[in-house]
Amino acid sequence: MNLEGSHTINAPRARVYASLIDPEVLQQCIPGCERLERTAPDTYAMTIRAGVGPIKGLFNGTVGMEDLREPEHYRLAVEGKGSTGFLKGSGDFDLHEEGETTVIKYSGKMQVGGMIASVGQRLVLSAARMMASQFFANLAKQTVKPTEQVKTNSAQHSE
Amino acid sequence: MIPSQFDYESPTTIDEALMLLAQNPDETKILAGGHSLIPAMKLRLAQPSLLVDLARIKDLSYVREEANNILIGAMTTHYEIESSSLLKRICPLLPECASHIGDVQVRNKGTIGGSIAHSDPAGDWPAAIIALNAEMVTVGNNGERTIRADDFFVDFLTTALEPGEILREIRIPKPAGRFGHAYQKVRHPASGFAVVGVAAALNFNGNNACGTAGIAVTGVAAKAYRAANVEKALAGKQIDDNIAADAAAHACDGAEINADLYASADYRRHLAILHTRRAIQNALTRASA
Repeated sequence: MNLEGSHTINAPRARVYASLIDPEVLQQCIPGCERLERTAPDTYAMTIRAGVGPIKGLFNGTVGMEDLREPEHYRLAVEGKGSTGFLKGSGDFDLHEEGETTVIKYSGKMQVGGMIASVGQRLVLSAARMMASQFFANLAKQTVKPTEQVKTNSAQHSE
Repeated sequence: MIPSQFDYESPTTIDEALMLLAQNPDETKILAGGHSLIPAMKLRLAQPSLLVDLARIKDLSYVREEANNILIGAMTTHYEIESSSLLKRICPLLPECASHIGDVQVRNKGTIGGSIAHSDPAGDWPAAIIALNAEMVTVGNNGERTIRADDFFVDFLTTALEPGEILREIRIPKPAGRFGHAYQKVRHPASGFAVVGVAAALNFNGNNACGTAGIAVTGVAAKAYRAANVEKALAGKQIDDNIAADAAAHACDGAEINADLYASADYRRHLAILHTRRAIQNALTRASA
């Protein structure tokens, strides 16, 4: 399954790139990410509690950053396994400057298997697209005004 | 397959149901027929710790006619709508849409409210509900809310319902004057879900021109959506086959088209355009009859 798209972030490219490779920012951006710990250079262990509607699952896996070419390109390789299935995929991110803003083009390949894929095949692409759009919405929040935004987020969690 | 352990409550009033739901809204699911939720639980894709069954609450299952509205209780089954002589007369899109859902068992147990609140991207009801400009009446601890269909379906399996809220009623403006309804569907042969489903509700002026058009599409994107450009291309026109075909060509405007093993995005687009045209033509024929 392929997932492609582009998003515009209202921030300079260098800052967007720095956000994309910063594990703390990534943890805030990946929907449902509960843990992102560095285990080796550019490799992280991840726990995601992802859910859409009634369907919820806990996934454990690794995230690797590859092919880092600051500030224009990197690849994110993800592998995860949970009670409802497994996921393996990688996505290339290309960052282009457009005036004051940055356009992120992404193109990924993803394999989903196990229960979630065999019974939910017709739902997988929509779920992936929804998570991608949440990721970029979060990234925009994190990147545009990093310090202020982190404060609002933590305030929302404590409510 | 066996679901993971859960508790079950079957309250007899909606206030009691709201109270149960408020205790732990994230881990609680409302059971309203269960033809999507129970299979998901059996596969352990969903593992709520509490099910609150609405089946014993009186007066959540009805079809009523008011001055300008049709009121449908959220627990009304698909079959009750399919077989309602009142609806066949005053709003035939609803029984027609119901007749296309799943199979006999699903239609006998599944409910309109359950289906709408679940918001499956290939569910049949959301298309009809949007085309008819329905409103969803919800109850929560802060009282009642009314949400327009256009605002209700937010994203993939996601609605405007807040955790802790229950969908109580679907309110549909009564079609007035001369109108024609049609629901066109390509069913998935195994699941019965819509590969593509198109609902059309057209009404006509005295001079045979289309007054307002309601066209909505399900199965194609992450949620059912209003085909606004199709509606614009029909409004005010004396619809003929050419106008129907030109309008239908806009069926997927702005939609991010879904693809799965059964239908690629291109094939889905083709089906959506074809069946939008047929839905318009059928609605037109029925209005003229």
